[in-house]
Amino acid sequence: MDEPTSSSTRKSEAAHLAALDIDSLGFRYDSGFELRLPALQLSPGEEMLLVGRSGCGKSTLLQLIAGLLDPSAGHIRIGGTDVHALRGAARDRFRGRSIGMVFQTFHLLQGFTARENVLIALLMSHVAKAEWQVRAESLLRSLGIDRLDALAEELSIGQQQRVAIARALACRPTLVLADEPTASLDPENALNAVRVLRDACREQGAALLVVSHDPSLEQHFVRRERLDALTKPQSAHKGAAS
Amino acid sequence: MNDFSIVLRSLRVRAFSTGIVLTLVAISAGLLLAILSLRTAGERAFERGTGNAHLLVSKDGSPLVSVLNGLFYANPPKAPIDGAKLAELRASFPWAMFVPTAIGDSYRTFPVVATVPEFFTKFEPVLGEKWVFAEGRAFEKNFEIVLGSAVARETGLRLGAKIVLTHGSGKSREGVDEHAHEHREYEFNVVGILEPTGAPHDRALFTDLESSWILHAHDRFERAGTHKTLTVADLADEDRLVTGVLMRLPSRDPMSAPPALVSQYDRLRRDGTITVALPANEVQRLFTIVASIDVLFVAMAAATLVSSAVAILLSMINSMGERRRQVAILRVLGAGRARIFWLVLTESTVVGLVGATAGVALCAVVLFAATAWMRNAHGIVIAPELDARSAILVALGTTTLAALAGVVPSILAYRTSVARNLRPIG
Repeated sequence: MDEPTSSSTRKSEAAHLAALDIDSLGFRYDSGFELRLPALQLSPGEEMLLVGRSGCGKSTLLQLIAGLLDPSAGHIRIGGTDVHALRGAARDRFRGRSIGMVFQTFHLLQGFTARENVLIALLMSHVAKAEWQVRAESLLRSLGIDRLDALAEELSIGQQQRVAIARALACRPTLVLADEPTASLDPENALNAVRVLRDACREQGAALLVVSHDPSLEQHFVRRERLDALTKPQSAHKGAAS
Repeated sequence: MNDFSIVLRSLRVRAFSTGIVLTLVAISAGLLLAILSLRTAGERAFERGTGNAHLLVSKDGSPLVSVLNGLFYANPPKAPIDGAKLAELRASFPWAMFVPTAIGDSYRTFPVVATVPEFFTKFEPVLGEKWVFAEGRAFEKNFEIVLGSAVARETGLRLGAKIVLTHGSGKSREGVDEHAHEHREYEFNVVGILEPTGAPHDRALFTDLESSWILHAHDRFERAGTHKTLTVADLADEDRLVTGVLMRLPSRDPMSAPPALVSQYDRLRRDGTITVALPANEVQRLFTIVASIDVLFVAMAAATLVSSAVAILLSMINSMGERRRQVAILRVLGAGRARIFWLVLTESTVVGLVGATAGVALCAVVLFAATAWMRNAHGIVIAPELDARSAILVALGTTTLAALAGVVPSILAYRTSVARNLRPIG
């Protein structure tokens, strides 16, 4: 009788420690696409590559983890906090504080400088205002951005990518989610971007979950999974998730 | 960096559409404010301009025209009152003030009012405010002239200056007065300069009746082939004409009309050869006449303001595509829906506030231009005064309208789906 209890406790403790802990996740679009992920864990500072074909639900999974979509079943905990137990502004604040996101097309705010793009992330966070400038500047410089006051759209693609990484790490998140971070880059820049992203996350102590359909990234990650193998999609609905 | 700087930057990113909408809002608010201010200033100017005269007698076509010509110097009166009628009027009642005036000459298009010395001692340009000389004194003998404050300012004439008058107004309603000509034979000596009154008198010159009659008599002599410099002794009855009489009844309270005014008014009106006007009543009547047009103008300006609010709404809706992506990014970074709502609402409110402020500035320019135009084209002096209460009301109204216009875009932003709007672009 003790064994299951002990196992359950250990599992619970592990979940509290985990940067990401997904448990019996279920999600279903109105269009019929369904994503089921029984379990996935990521330890603090751990890196993981999740690959899969287009439309298999990679982006949907990231949006579920970020609390931008609500699951129909299961739990997602980040640093021990059940994301979907939080409601409204509390979830938004948690996301700003604990999750950094890097997108395929970077999604920098046009008309804002590199520095301001990072400062906005800090503005939405719990970080004391006195720290904002120093933290933004040091992050950007550590990622090789010297033109801090250049508008985002004036930067090269590679520089934009690095500003997006700096923005994702500005609040020292528990978890960084990267959605196809190399899809807009040529092979050389892609390689460089992955290296920068991994180094930055390591330096900040953030766990990193990269989703990509690019198999060439596999060589850079010790832990790599195929989403198809982890999930049980009931029906594939092309374009529904990515 | 704060929420407000995000709003400002967001407006700057859409500089072109922001500029156009701001211009629209500024023009609308400025127009509405200008109309309200002009109306207030116009009423005040007209009320001030009637002075302390209880009655104005002339031979103009109507009492209103009589007041506009006789007190606001809109146009020179056409028909004169002869000496016999003037004597009859003077003897008809123990007037507290009986000041005949002859208007028809001019100096550089400024009207010259020929009158009697009592004009400066008994007639008040503004009820309860006596004439004040900034320099010099009133005319005491022939060919002495006193300048209104605006005349002195705009012509640069000083005490002791010699000027010649134009017989005729120098201009008419239709344009140039073809019969106007200068009387170089008779030089007038500037002996006084008046303090501003805020009434049309500031743009007039004042001399004695006899000097004006001499100018007219000179023309009569010229037509008869006699060329000489005339004196008062050469004047005939036919030269001794006036165009109006400012009259005041004895009154215990100088600020209100005496009971006898109505009976005297009725008595004078029975004389079909003259036009009798109650200046204060005519100004009120003028306001009543223009009130409906005035309301129409205010309504049109208000409609323009509403349309500028619609422009804000359309501009924000049009930019919703780009805005949705921005909203989605901010949401990912931790901004709550309510914060997004207020950011967008603040944006439209800022447009309204800045537009209204620019509108107030624009209104000041419009008022200045309108004042100059009214003064030059119609001789009506309106003080270029921005009505503070109207300015605050219009600014608040504009800002509120702009905020209301931002509600729909704010709701759209509030409801923006983050997942849908963060798909790869390009």
